[in-house]
Amino acid sequence: MTIRCFLGVVLICGVAWQSSRGQAVVEGRVELPKKRSAPVVTQRYEIVSKGGVLSPSPPVAVVYLEGAFGKPASLATKQVAQKNLIFDPGLLPVQSGTRVEFPNLDDTYHNIFSYSPAKRFDLGRYRPDERPIPSEVFDTPGLVTLRCDIHEHMRALILVLDTPYFVTTDSNGRFRLNGLPSGHYTVKAWLDSRTTREQPVDLKSGAVVHLDFP
Amino acid sequence: MMLVIGILTMVAVYIVQRNAVADAERDLQQEFRSALTSLDRAEEARHQVLAERCRSLVLKPRLHAALEDNALDLLYPSAKDELRDLLRSGEPNSDPSALTLPATFYRFLNASGSVISPPNPAEVGRLSAADESQITLAKLPTNTQIGYFFRSSRDRGEIIDEIITLPIYSTETGEVISALVVGFEPLQLRAKESKMRSGIWINGRLSLPALSAPAVEALSHDLGAQILRGTAERNNFTISLDGSPHLLFFRILNPQSMFPPAYEVCIYSLQNATARRRKLQAQIVGAGIGLLALGFLASHFAAGRLSRPVEKLAIESEANLAGRERAEATLATTSQELKRSSRFSADASHQLKSPVTVLRVGIESLLARNDFDAPVYDELSSLLHQTYRLTGVIDDLLLLSRMDAGRLSIDFSSVDLTELVNEWLDDLSALPDSMDVQIEKKVSPGLHVAGEKRYTSLIVQNLIENARKYNRPGGRIRVATRRRREGVALSIGNTGSTIPPAAQEHIFERFNRGGAGGNVAGHGLGLNLACELALLHGGELRLVSSANDWTEFEVSFQVPSQRQNGAGSA
Repeated sequence: MTIRCFLGVVLICGVAWQSSRGQAVVEGRVELPKKRSAPVVTQRYEIVSKGGVLSPSPPVAVVYLEGAFGKPASLATKQVAQKNLIFDPGLLPVQSGTRVEFPNLDDTYHNIFSYSPAKRFDLGRYRPDERPIPSEVFDTPGLVTLRCDIHEHMRALILVLDTPYFVTTDSNGRFRLNGLPSGHYTVKAWLDSRTTREQPVDLKSGAVVHLDFP
Repeated sequence: MMLVIGILTMVAVYIVQRNAVADAERDLQQEFRSALTSLDRAEEARHQVLAERCRSLVLKPRLHAALEDNALDLLYPSAKDELRDLLRSGEPNSDPSALTLPATFYRFLNASGSVISPPNPAEVGRLSAADESQITLAKLPTNTQIGYFFRSSRDRGEIIDEIITLPIYSTETGEVISALVVGFEPLQLRAKESKMRSGIWINGRLSLPALSAPAVEALSHDLGAQILRGTAERNNFTISLDGSPHLLFFRILNPQSMFPPAYEVCIYSLQNATARRRKLQAQIVGAGIGLLALGFLASHFAAGRLSRPVEKLAIESEANLAGRERAEATLATTSQELKRSSRFSADASHQLKSPVTVLRVGIESLLARNDFDAPVYDELSSLLHQTYRLTGVIDDLLLLSRMDAGRLSIDFSSVDLTELVNEWLDDLSALPDSMDVQIEKKVSPGLHVAGEKRYTSLIVQNLIENARKYNRPGGRIRVATRRRREGVALSIGNTGSTIPPAAQEHIFERFNRGGAGGNVAGHGLGLNLACELALLHGGELRLVSSANDWTEFEVSFQVPSQRQNGAGSA
């Protein structure tokens, strides 16, 4: 019994070591676009915006490994909250098939909808106490623009990707993609609806590849 | 002696006549100028109001979603909901001073400036292919464009549309991605209101319904030549129309527009003025001749008494002239007063709203700067909030002034009072600064009253907002309805400080706030407005009681008649 236990632990450790040794890493930096001058927000009724939108963070990019990878049995539910009349986060990358919840954390109504080809939906007007939290499953890869019918300055993006390997850069454009399989792939950096940069990459197990997207 | 008298009389007659003609011409010019100024102001106020309405529409998120997220199939269906209030086709413009001018059509332009075809033209105002080509632009505009164009309407023949085109900016890139074109009926003077008649000249064609077809054609030709020759934006000249003289004035309506230039043409008949002048001349000359004749007669009888009758006659003639001038001046003042009162709403809206708009735009541009400290933005935001409040006061005052002038009539139909109360209570609880007020509602379902929804709603809104504003933290609001034999009564009560007995009889007066403290938002027009509107609805608003931490108002409404029921459900 004890020997069997010991052998089991050794086997598990061996597999874990093997798999960590077999994973590749890509890291680098994406040159981010300059931030447009942000409109001003007040926390009460009036939002001063000249056709602009408000975002909780400066612009960031999404870096992902393109390729056909299997889908896991279940995917964690993600959230895009509405807080202080802003969508948070302003950009959310998800793997296709992910359910995203839209909790309302303001003490006023919101009405989230999207006309994007990748996902058309309209959640209707709802208040903070709405249960269950309104949500949608995003099955089709592509860009989904979220808007609020009541607050014209609110806008957020959900980038639906086929791949499970993606990461959002920090505000300086730095990123690190961990746990990648070996092989020949394309790494893409999504900057905005019109700009996606790409570079081919050869991944070897245990190697760290440095990639910059100027 | 006789020769001297004759020469003197003729000189006097000549001077009097010359002064009278100059005075008459000056009066005429003044009258014309005042009419034109009124028209200019009305046009300017109208353009501001229309542009303001359209500006709020082009910010609508659903329109941006359809245009920016590749969902053009949803563009017009979304616009139909958003622009529903704008397009009330088939309903004649009943109130000329109303700020809610119905549009005749609207379209969106694509990135190259061409019209995006609507799936169902009947819902957005029908236009032929030729009409659509007239609203097409070579490229998308970056600011508001005003244009005018001729089109044929099935039921009204050839008409002119005034169009306002506003750019739509991408929320992502800030570039112009589309434009909204909205057509309105142009402002036209009514013949009864003024002696002046107006029309519009575009690309060699003139529309001036008050004139006969040949006269319009001749005038159109003359105007074309004048406009081609003239470089000034304003001009005027005298013309002969149907055999009578007219003063004509033309002015460009849309300077620096991407649409073809359109000119406003005003004509003012000089027939009456000329007749009046001729009559005056004839009277003066007649008086002169009479004077001379009498002088000659008198010289026959008594040369020594010659001077006395001449003086007497001269005085009488002067007195006649002075009396006539006085009467004419009074007439002119009265007519100006009448015009002024009939244009009050438009003028007031212009005079009051444009400074507020200027103020708001100024504060907004300050807010858009990013070199101030954070507290400055808070200050600016609160100043901006005050401009919105000011607009609210102006709207209330305009409504009251229209009621005072007897120009507000209620278009009765059946209004769902229960739904109105529920909506306002819903909005109340959605306010972020609500003071934990408990709402007690005893409203019978499906209660209908006779009224016009927007004004009935205003009464309910004012009472519910008052109940919230003058409440105390942790207090209570009770809304209840009661059916009566002759109508429906809606009572709204709230806890909080009561109205002192001495102030109670004055609470329905304007700018009276029932002894409310300075920390309560408001401007003292709400109750007066609600009271006046309730009277117009055939009901009344009264204070039931205000004592022991409880203030209750009751407003009564009439039940809708069979016919109004039909109108309400239609």
